Amino acid sequence: MEHLLESLGRNMFGIFGLMALGGAALMVASKSAVHSVLAFLFAMLSVAGCFLSLEAEFLGVAQILVYAGGIVVLFLFVVMLVEISKFKQKEQQAVFHSQSRIALVAVIAGIGAFAGIFRNALFGPTSPEALVLRPELARGLDVAKQNAQAVSRGLFADYLLPFEILSVILLVALVGAVVLAKSERV
Amino acid sequence: MASLNSVLLISFALFSIGVAGVLIRRNALVILMSVELMLNAANLNFIAFARHSGSASGQAFALLVMGFAAAEVAVGLALVVALYRRRDTVQVDDINLLKG
Repeated sequence: MEHLLESLGRNMFGIFGLMALGGAALMVASKSAVHSVLAFLFAMLSVAGCFLSLEAEFLGVAQILVYAGGIVVLFLFVVMLVEISKFKQKEQQAVFHSQSRIALVAVIAGIGAFAGIFRNALFGPTSPEALVLRPELARGLDVAKQNAQAVSRGLFADYLLPFEILSVILLVALVGAVVLAKSERV
Repeated sequence: MASLNSVLLISFALFSIGVAGVLIRRNALVILMSVELMLNAANLNFIAFARHSGSASGQAFALLVMGFAAAEVAVGLALVVALYRRRDTVQVDDINLLKG
């Protein structure tokens, strides 16, 4: 039992990663948009688990707050607004795009090309040494109470200008969303 | 502890699923969600490299990407709602006004 728990703890990232992949595949494949949103929520929570297992605690919690708390609710809101009233007569329409076969073949060919190009770098014997996560380098990110400190130092000391630009982008997006979504005659 | 390669492979698979979703789905909402998925794959890469190099810059940038994703969702959903008001559809096959 302890052995099982220990191996579970060691492979936490892989478990969460596979869960994220499953949720993402379900999101793309499911017919109903509401099911799609729920699978998206599952995938985002799994990605948050991946962040936590990579010792990015602040970002994991921020991911849960932003996605599960904000974006998924927004998506569900719009799905309810847009889909439900038209659901009955739209149901017989095709889910996938008319040229989806070509697109799928293109994606699979791209994956194959990627695997072919980077096969040596990823799996080959000539791969460079530094391919394992090195805990002795990540000491600054190691402890939970230091992670937020490290992120805030990066955000407010090193990258203050991108942070301020992001705030302007958010303001512009807010105004743009209101202008786009308001009714025609006001 | 997960190796950097496994993190990169999972992030690549997430990104591929996102690309496939953008290319093969007809529903504009699902396309927006697939774009979110691709941004999350990029975030996963940022965090993996931050963990690998021991500096917090990658995590700071991942936070910036998250804010950017929120702005993108707000504008995208507003576009979808405006489109639904005007054309009564959210299927991208039906939006062919600019088709030659």
